[in-house]
Amino acid sequence: MKRLRDFFQKESCQSADIARERLKVMISQDRMQRNQPDFLPRLQSELVEVIRRYTQSEQDDIQISYHCLPQRSQIELNVSWPRNLP
Amino acid sequence: MARVVVVTSGKGGVGKTTSCASIGTALAMQGHRTVLIDFDVGLRNLDLVMGCERRVVYDLINVTTGEAKLSQALIKDKRLDGLFMLPASQTRDKDALTYEGVGEVIETLKEEFDFIICDSPAGIERGAVMAMYYADEAIVVTNPEVSSVRDSDRIIGLLDSKTRKAEEGESVRSHLLITRYDPERVEHADMMSVQDIEEILAIPVVGVIPESPAVLRASNQGVPVVHDSDSDAGQAYSDTVARFLGEELPMRFTELERKGLFSRMFGGRR
Repeated sequence: MKRLRDFFQKESCQSADIARERLKVMISQDRMQRNQPDFLPRLQSELVEVIRRYTQSEQDDIQISYHCLPQRSQIELNVSWPRNLP
Repeated sequence: MARVVVVTSGKGGVGKTTSCASIGTALAMQGHRTVLIDFDVGLRNLDLVMGCERRVVYDLINVTTGEAKLSQALIKDKRLDGLFMLPASQTRDKDALTYEGVGEVIETLKEEFDFIICDSPAGIERGAVMAMYYADEAIVVTNPEVSSVRDSDRIIGLLDSKTRKAEEGESVRSHLLITRYDPERVEHADMMSVQDIEEILAIPVVGVIPESPAVLRASNQGVPVVHDSDSDAGQAYSDTVARFLGEELPMRFTELERKGLFSRMFGGRR
């Protein structure tokens, strides 16, 4: 029955499916941010500022991720920058 | 042992107060002594939906500040014996409510009642957190619509972190109540299904209330819709409360009714 419906409705957009997919993405982002400390965005922007003072990193070259471990919290910092070829 | 239940949602207008009124009423119909507390300071509406707005003299804040006794502020339902409500203040500022004050009121009510149902204000601010803080259980009201589902997920996050249960390392038992459900639109894939929402929010569904003209008709009259036992929404609320109390019942009104030619021509809307 559902297949039959899909066949006839292929052209019209299945908005419920779109809603479901959008929600899954949004909610997984929300849940990730839920347990982060309030200072994290400020810390992130200050770290990026300091790192870029020394390296030629682009914004995308600096990745900061937050992890919530059972006993402690952790941030992971990955930085790369273009090598200065002689 | 009294059970403290918060009816909450995050988003406004999804049917918290309507659900609170019908759930409380259905519990009282089954013989459980029940009190409804309106936590929506400044925007009190539960008294209107319950049809007792003209009997409000004192409110929750009057009780927490000691200006009135709890027994003076409680309003007895005119239809059911074991049902009472405690209205919110319409005039005071929101910060007038304190955790200590609310805690004392709830502790006192626990001696008298089987169920204490807290009607939460919308949002995720102090008022909403206050309404859920002392809860043992939660009924999260959601519409099958993206912003409502997302906000419900945030509320579930708060239930897991900002309640007394959470502070004590326990968890608030949460139930999902889907309201304004329209099986026809689900069938046409224009509305998320019960299964979709349950999968996303990951808490068990306690009830599904169909979109129904009976709901507005009931609130117009100040009679909780569960009293309208002929209506689909009224029956769905009865089922919800039966499930909440531990009965196992299949969901009704979630599948599209196939109408014959005859009922399509002559069948009126209930």
